[in-house]
Amino acid sequence: MPDTDNNDHHRQFLRHFTTHEPAVRAFVRRLVPSRADADDILQEVSIVLWKKFGEFRSDGDFKAWAFGIARFKVLSWLRDRGRDRLVLDSDVVALIAEESQNVEPHLERQRIALETCFEKMRTEERDLLVRAYERNARIHEVALTSGRSVGGFYQWLHRMRKLLMDCITRALAEQPS
Amino acid sequence: MINQNFDPQILHRYLDGTASAEDIEELSAWLRSNADARLEFIEMLNLDSTLAAVSQPFSAEDAAAMTQACEPASMSIDQVTAATESKVAVIGSKDSSTLHRLAWLATAACVAMLLSGVWWSQRTPQPWATVQSRVGAGEFAVGAGLRGEVNQIQVGVVQLVTARGAQIVIEAPATFQFESNNRLRLTRGRLSAEVPPAAKGFTVVTPSGEAIDLGTRFGVDVPTDGPAEIHVFEGEVIAKVSGTKASENLFGGDARALEGGAGAARELRSSAFIQKNEMAELSAGHSSKQRRRAEASIVALRNDPTLIALFDFELNEEVPPGVFRMAQGRWPGSRAPEFVSVGDHVKLDVGGDHQWPQLTLAAWVRLDRLGAPFQSLLHTDGWNETKLGQVHWMVTRHTTMRLALYGNTLAPGSVEPDIFPDSRTPVLPEQGRWIHLATVYDAKARTVRFFLNGEFDKQTRQDIAYPAKLGPSQIGNWNREDRKLSGRIDEFIILGRAMSDKEIQDLYSAGSPYPAMIHKQNRPPQNLAPVKNDE
Repeated sequence: MPDTDNNDHHRQFLRHFTTHEPAVRAFVRRLVPSRADADDILQEVSIVLWKKFGEFRSDGDFKAWAFGIARFKVLSWLRDRGRDRLVLDSDVVALIAEESQNVEPHLERQRIALETCFEKMRTEERDLLVRAYERNARIHEVALTSGRSVGGFYQWLHRMRKLLMDCITRALAEQPS
Repeated sequence: MINQNFDPQILHRYLDGTASAEDIEELSAWLRSNADARLEFIEMLNLDSTLAAVSQPFSAEDAAAMTQACEPASMSIDQVTAATESKVAVIGSKDSSTLHRLAWLATAACVAMLLSGVWWSQRTPQPWATVQSRVGAGEFAVGAGLRGEVNQIQVGVVQLVTARGAQIVIEAPATFQFESNNRLRLTRGRLSAEVPPAAKGFTVVTPSGEAIDLGTRFGVDVPTDGPAEIHVFEGEVIAKVSGTKASENLFGGDARALEGGAGAARELRSSAFIQKNEMAELSAGHSSKQRRRAEASIVALRNDPTLIALFDFELNEEVPPGVFRMAQGRWPGSRAPEFVSVGDHVKLDVGGDHQWPQLTLAAWVRLDRLGAPFQSLLHTDGWNETKLGQVHWMVTRHTTMRLALYGNTLAPGSVEPDIFPDSRTPVLPEQGRWIHLATVYDAKARTVRFFLNGEFDKQTRQDIAYPAKLGPSQIGNWNREDRKLSGRIDEFIILGRAMSDKEIQDLYSAGSPYPAMIHKQNRPPQNLAPVKNDE
């Protein structure tokens, strides 16, 4: 393959990948028990996507194609490692995969609305949430520095998620869709 | 219906990674039996994933490093090796050529970096964008961070850089709001964006649709009425019209309005947007108090007894009739008519029936490079022998300046491609910027002299040279056929005498919105020695 073709191919891939990465990430996250698992799987998925990118039709739907590959990876991950983890039953995971693909446009709007809702939070609460959601965050330490018990901190976290979800619902209700 | 016995805390424990085996069993059963529950679960996990993403924004350094790593052309073998050290074992490929393998490794490295925590080390929410510079726009402090607040600029221009490294210049009057570090809502005004690979997907949301960048330079214009327009200078942008599913990929040189159906295509208006590099010059010009000198020189000209007309289109001046938009002029908050649609023009009727043996025409203009053969600077109405000496001043298809007087002829030996005096140096820059055009006509000396940005460009000799005639005219068009000027015009001067080279130079120096030195360096790279046509 000439160098320029290679670069072109590379660029096209990156373009698709960077555009759809948040959707694929969220898709994988819905099917596995933790964010760390989702990160691991997403890395594998991205490598498979690049390997198989030659088979992807340039006028095709990259997101749907990536979901297909991600779904396959997740199912094999559940088979291999699911045994020693607490995971949802595989028939339930299959249902979630299928249904979440059907409502993807709705989920994308929710993801966008979340960023605005997140911004509207009080600064201290937002900062605390960020620390809880940071990669490799230690919830015990975050709880401690926030002056809460671990149990109390989880309760706070649950409340924040609920408030954000309410905010998203309200924001989307106001939008013409 | 949702199982009444289900404890919502189980879902949260699942998200937290603290669910027990019984919790998981109960959650599975609940989800299996209930579609509403599954939707609720899907939405909550979607929230969880997005929260994780927004909690780990890119820093500017990350963006810069990633830009480099993800740009295949800039990648050396060393970088690839270093970047992929930890990944090579996993992704090695035996059956490919070395070249292919290298490119493949590079992409894998880039993807790995996109995903790895290396890029996400920030602990507190960062600003989504930072103010880099401003001209006017006193609402903004250089270095200030912007997040989700609504911003307005009444006058001037502001330059921002997003957390992912996209460079954005927004011109007043404008209203905008960031929705994330890669998404900007523009309700009014115009912006230009230069987007590095790390900010690919940068999106401008307007009331009539969206522009989604794919790594490029582009402009978005949101007028007070009518649909927004996207202009792509380089690269590729996806245009999405609100309320439709259709999207269109635009490439360098393309432009379109965000409206449905046919007729959405537009000609690229290269000068309608202030881009990053011009911003630096405007900022320098602004701080060197150029504006005050410009205003002083205008006052002097207004007292010149030979002055026929002077339009600077400011608030205290009666706006001439015509069809045009009012846009920002060379200074923050100043005004300049902008010609966008077919038929746009300014009307004037000056000079009467008088015959002018000498005439100077000068204007600050900001013009698009178009396919159209002629752009009118000043066209007297009609073109026939009843008005010998009537004046047509324009930019030609050769992108040179032309001064045509009815009945005049070129002296033998002239190099002009047509039968009219033309300037030598192309007057249209590749990118939008303000330029000063001037021409001096002398019927007695039978000469036409052209000036670009204050510097003498060329003299053309005439064989027959009638005194100049004005009367009913249009700036920016011609009443007989469309010769629309595409762009803005500011400070238009008609003087009934021949200005000297020095005067033209001073007029330019005083009126330039850019600092003098920089502007000179930006002249087209041409030999500018005067040419004598009659020798």
